Amino acid sequence: MTQRHETPRRPLWLRLLGLSTVVLFAVGAYLALVVSPPDVNQGQLIRMMYAHVSVAWVCFVAVIVTALYGMAFLWRGRPVDDTRAVANAEIATFFAGLTLISGMTYSRPTLNTWWTWDAKLTLTALMFALLVGYFVVRGLIDDPTRRGRVSAVIGIVVAVSLPFNYLAAAWFRTLHPTLSVAVTGIHIAPTMLFVLLFNVGVAALVYLTFVSERIRIGKLEHERDEERERREEGAPGEVVRV
Amino acid sequence: MSAAPQGPRDRAGAAVIPEGSAAGDLAAVLAIARKDLLQEARSRAVTVATLFFSAVTLVMMAFAMGQDAELLRRSAPGVLWVALAFAGVITAAQSFQSDLEEGAFDQLLLYPVPRASVFLGKLLANWLYLAVLGLIMTPVTLVLYGARAGSDLWLLPVTLALGTFGFAVVATFYAALTANLQAREALLPVLMFPVVVPVLLGAVRSTEALVGLQNATLAGGWLQLLAGFDLVYFVTCTAIFHLVVEE
Repeated sequence: MTQRHETPRRPLWLRLLGLSTVVLFAVGAYLALVVSPPDVNQGQLIRMMYAHVSVAWVCFVAVIVTALYGMAFLWRGRPVDDTRAVANAEIATFFAGLTLISGMTYSRPTLNTWWTWDAKLTLTALMFALLVGYFVVRGLIDDPTRRGRVSAVIGIVVAVSLPFNYLAAAWFRTLHPTLSVAVTGIHIAPTMLFVLLFNVGVAALVYLTFVSERIRIGKLEHERDEERERREEGAPGEVVRV
Repeated sequence: MSAAPQGPRDRAGAAVIPEGSAAGDLAAVLAIARKDLLQEARSRAVTVATLFFSAVTLVMMAFAMGQDAELLRRSAPGVLWVALAFAGVITAAQSFQSDLEEGAFDQLLLYPVPRASVFLGKLLANWLYLAVLGLIMTPVTLVLYGARAGSDLWLLPVTLALGTFGFAVVATFYAALTANLQAREALLPVLMFPVVVPVLLGAVRSTEALVGLQNATLAGGWLQLLAGFDLVYFVTCTAIFHLVVEE
């Protein structure tokens, strides 16, 4: 006996957010590929920097947010916080992968090597490994409460490890260009800075869109699981809270 | 059945734990560490495994790298700490496994002490075990790999203590987390190694400096990093340990 379920439509705000993300992404790409002048030293290669720096920043934000929602789950125990944490962890993993790939393709022509044991690159690689561990452990635990708790704990450990991995790798050796936007004085042409910040903004929008969509799907999944549990217990009216 | 013992000493001879006080919690930590070490002293399962495992790792690495004496000499600290990291995984996994097999872990959790005491007790036992293993392995590695001891040798025990403590904290924590999962043997190193990379790096650089492979003044900075890592993970893992043990 198959029951037909109507899939709830995407809310209007999410569709608008998605649409504006697509439009602004196109604008960002135009700015980076056409409007931005070539760099004095790197020439046309500077255009890769816009993509690389944007995804890298968003990736770190997503990791921190994962840990924060993990803490919220531990604090209040609401399943929705676990859903939010997982959504962020998935985006973080994806963006960490993008950061690694874009970083390697960017460093091949500019630094003349695919891989350097440099602070930021090593840090991203380690973070990627930690995030993969997060999902491996999640996949092995069936009980939703325990799964949420354990993943929250791993999320927190990942966030705590960031400064140490960074310090260790930074002292180890470094070849990475210093921050493009330094705290003391900005040494980047105003046009390029604008293009960079615009692209970071676009990457943040992409992140927001995907996270919102993933949270929406996560909530639906959660509802479906609850419904299935209710049906299996044969008590249609009873709400099973986990 | 874990009835609270009546007299000042219970039947096994361990000190009685007064509930709810700091001294009581400390006594619980020491009792659990004592239990783990006693169990190990009697069975010697982990001792045999880790000691020979570390020794085999040393020999295999030396074979793999070939006959170059200078290369061997330079890689001695790195090989030593990699062997200790592997030994740390085995030690921590076994400390929970032997309890779980006999159902003793559930009883341990029934004791009216904070969960953190269980973590701290196991951590203490694992750390002491790893530190002693490190003390044995260091001279063996230095001799096998032809490295000579430098002038600041008195700092080597400090490096060993801080480095093995960092390994022990993360390994014990993750071993508790993975104790009930499938494929835990493969999972524990996957989870633990990315976290302990700063410890590995700090301990290896510091050891390099102390055995005269690098400028000895560098060791101080790395020891600070190790101490900072140990402190932060010690506090974090102790605080959230009760969340990872399965009821």
